Amino acid sequence: MLHRPALHAWQTRWLNRCRNALRNPLYLIGAAALLFLAYTIVWPVLHMIYTTLVWRTQDARLTAAADPGHLTFYHWQRVLASDISWSLFYKPVVNALSVGLSVSAVSMILGCGLAWLVTRTDIPFKKTITFLAIIPYLLPSWMLSQAWLTFFKNSKIGGTPGILQSLLHVAPPDWISYGYVPIVMTLSIHDSVYFFLLVGAALSSMNSQLEEAAEMVGAGRLQVLRRIVFPLVLPSVLSGFILIFTKAVSSYGVPALLGTPVNFYMISTMLYSSMRSRLTTEANVLSLTLMLISIGAIYLNQRLIGRRRSYVTVSGKGSSVTYTTLGRWKLPAAAATVIGMVIVAVVPLLVLLLQTFLLKDGSFNAANLTLHYWLGGSDPSINTGEKGVLQNPIFLLALKNSLMIAGIASVIAAVMGLLFGYVVARGKNTAMGRLVDQLSFFPYFIPGISLAAIYITMFAKPVLFIPALYGTITIIILITVVKELPFTVKAGGASLMQIGNELEEAAVLGGASWFTRFRRLLLPLSRKSLLSAFILVFIGAMKEMELIIMLVTPRTETLTTLTFYYVEKGYEQLTNVVLMIIIAIVVTVYLLAVKFGKADLTKGIGGQ
Amino acid sequence: MKMKWKNPIGSGLRSYKPGKAAVLVLGTVLLLTACGKAGGSSPDADASKPANAVQGSSQTKKPAANNETVEALYEQAKQEGKLIVYSTSGRANDAAETFMKQYPEIKVEVSKVKSDEMMDKVTKEQDAGQFNPDVIITKEVSGAVEEEMVKPGRYIKYLPEDLAPMVDEPYRTQAEGYANYLEFRTVFYNTEHYKTAPITNWWDLTTPEYKGKVYTADPLSSPAFMDLFTTMVVNSEDMAAAYKEKFGKDIELHGTENAGYEFIQQLFANGLVVLKGSDDVLDAIGKADSDAIGLAVSGDVSKVEEKGWSILPIYDIKPKTSVPDSGYLFLANKAPHEAAGKLFIRWMMGGKDGQGEGMNPFNEVGSWVPRSDVKTKNEISFEQLNLWNYDGEALYFASPKVRDFWIKQK
Repeated sequence: MLHRPALHAWQTRWLNRCRNALRNPLYLIGAAALLFLAYTIVWPVLHMIYTTLVWRTQDARLTAAADPGHLTFYHWQRVLASDISWSLFYKPVVNALSVGLSVSAVSMILGCGLAWLVTRTDIPFKKTITFLAIIPYLLPSWMLSQAWLTFFKNSKIGGTPGILQSLLHVAPPDWISYGYVPIVMTLSIHDSVYFFLLVGAALSSMNSQLEEAAEMVGAGRLQVLRRIVFPLVLPSVLSGFILIFTKAVSSYGVPALLGTPVNFYMISTMLYSSMRSRLTTEANVLSLTLMLISIGAIYLNQRLIGRRRSYVTVSGKGSSVTYTTLGRWKLPAAAATVIGMVIVAVVPLLVLLLQTFLLKDGSFNAANLTLHYWLGGSDPSINTGEKGVLQNPIFLLALKNSLMIAGIASVIAAVMGLLFGYVVARGKNTAMGRLVDQLSFFPYFIPGISLAAIYITMFAKPVLFIPALYGTITIIILITVVKELPFTVKAGGASLMQIGNELEEAAVLGGASWFTRFRRLLLPLSRKSLLSAFILVFIGAMKEMELIIMLVTPRTETLTTLTFYYVEKGYEQLTNVVLMIIIAIVVTVYLLAVKFGKADLTKGIGGQ
Repeated sequence: MKMKWKNPIGSGLRSYKPGKAAVLVLGTVLLLTACGKAGGSSPDADASKPANAVQGSSQTKKPAANNETVEALYEQAKQEGKLIVYSTSGRANDAAETFMKQYPEIKVEVSKVKSDEMMDKVTKEQDAGQFNPDVIITKEVSGAVEEEMVKPGRYIKYLPEDLAPMVDEPYRTQAEGYANYLEFRTVFYNTEHYKTAPITNWWDLTTPEYKGKVYTADPLSSPAFMDLFTTMVVNSEDMAAAYKEKFGKDIELHGTENAGYEFIQQLFANGLVVLKGSDDVLDAIGKADSDAIGLAVSGDVSKVEEKGWSILPIYDIKPKTSVPDSGYLFLANKAPHEAAGKLFIRWMMGGKDGQGEGMNPFNEVGSWVPRSDVKTKNEISFEQLNLWNYDGEALYFASPKVRDFWIKQK
């Protein structure tokens, strides 16, 4: 009893802290977020780490020393320090890093430039440009590399020569046709939309009084850009940089097509090879090294942002946007932008669309036009009797499933990204915030197939309150949400960092609960970023294949898994019909979202 | 004192609102799980219940029972009502369509998965006690299907006894299972440029005449291509003999272990061009007049007209043309619709006389049906093909080393 008061003081302090923690929604959301991440990401990753440290029965293939069930460093040593490490690991790592850095840099220039033009200048055709910016991302990335080859192919890989070679009668050198340069270019064009949307959202919510103030005290335009605009959008730019970097580093389709002819392998292509050759452990080691690289990159990122104050641009004060006038550059700039984007985005799309109407691919005359691949019945002389896509009995089911998966997953992912982003932004100096930030980034590095394989085990049987999800649409939605977390959390975090604490504090004083604050304040203010997240996740989910193919059962077939059958049979037109349908859906959803979401990237932040 | 003790807890209870934040997050999580319960329960239940029912009623457990008749199977299959197929090949969909016309009471659901992913999928499913598929149609993955799936009893060999006598070896008794068709990797040439097959020996590819003019699909991303090279390593004496036949002298090894590895090394030294897939190879040599040759899948000849290629495969190369890549038909372990599954396998095999409609998707140019009573659409018969034996066990253990060797050539 005598000890009680002393203990008591200590306990009160501790309890006070607990109470504050409980009161602070940040910790509650943070805890829930961590719980979610622990089960859906950390557990699979730990499982992967574990498999790299034990002998499996299958390892008898690799060495006679294999001792199933016992611990070993053999797999790590094989990848990192054996006679094939140079070809299997180090060279691909160097290639991957250089591609990753270059792609981020190029897409930063493309994406930020475009975002600046659209949000801060008086360039005409803003809506058109914004819309066009999304299109390259709609196309599968291998299509852009195919287009590259059509132009720049040289005789090395045979076949019909590239357009450039036919016109100039000079073969482009290998380095233009294959490997590093084309990989960087196609990936940059494909992925720069991330920069465009992230930085665009940041720029458009920036108060132009800041720029005006700077101009008033005599700063030149460049100086304003460098001293005012750049620091303000830095968090978004860095988020974009890291996102694109990791996306590029782990991309497979483009490097496989453009890299193999010149033996340009990246970690991702090696990883895919290990996977297909059933050297699963080797694949796990490779993806874990990718994760380590990314953790390094994120650490650097946090050092860069953490050292600065975070700049609040959305405050309680009124704001207005004044556009920079382009003067006599206005029309040339608009024309150049639109023409450039039409060439990279619209032309491939139209070629593809036209192709779906050609009975025989490549011959462009009226007699060859047909609707067979869309509507036709079975005709034994075409594709051995395969019916048109809309006649395929599975089509409706696949369409329904795709819409359901993409629709639900993108809404959940966007909201979840904002919530997790809240923890990251408000708790950026706490271990919790950093942890959520880092953990949510892992899914980019877990190969879709590995993640899916682990999910089968985890969700095939009911565990605690989680029912058996395997075989349902839900598990496909879940894995899509998880796989997109890196992007949605970054987008959510970047957007919330710009919203001043004072707004929330004022709301607290006004007696608003956290839920009200979230619904009435944070949600509307980050509407634009939310919409971007929704759109990109929607597109991603509509296009997703590798990730879900193992989790799909006949009843949960989607549009992309339907194309799998067509691709394997070599039915190009049918594959493209499905692709066009997917693109049409995405475009419709985009337009609807812009119309009814009332968030327009080209204008000031929604609601203001 | 007690007041102070209670205070924090009390206020903790009162400050209830922030809890909504967590509710929101957890709610999202729960929503996912709730969806699972509501929306997806039916396929789930469908998949698991009959599995137990079949097991419980202790039906014919032997895959090939003696007195199995199509009629009896059909009767049972009607009770089962459906069957689930995991297939690496789209040919399954075509066969399913005719099957459902013949047996309208049975609904066939086909899942298309790559052979290596299918192994993971089925292994994980079965380990978790979910027995979903009834019929497996798969290619080999360097012997891993045999070692990891067939030997442990996850895929079960099924060859109806009444059909067995018509089946060619090795698929009757020696192979891991019955294959309804097989194709292989071989050298293709451009028919506008060459009137006849330009090569007769694998070693021709290493001669100066073909420097920089040999294409292959990347064996690093396609195990079936690697299997051909691994088979050459495993049968290195054959390769050494072919070398002697071609050059008239014994092979000299340049730091390699045997004639198989030496062949790979010389192929690279001769400027082998690696492309992504089989189609890319045929595009490279077949789209325009070309003196180049390339390794592609024999089954691709069926796409010639559609793709506009001018190509032909070579079916006679020394020492052996290739190694078969078989499309195996298995029953899955604890197949929930076993009778329907068996009926479907019989359907795909073309029935008793091999003339049934179910056979059509498999009997194509470029593929062979290993049944003595089925007439092939190719100019040469299965028996005349000069192929190495697919030695799954040997390939399983040799292929990682050959793959390493291949990677080191880069």
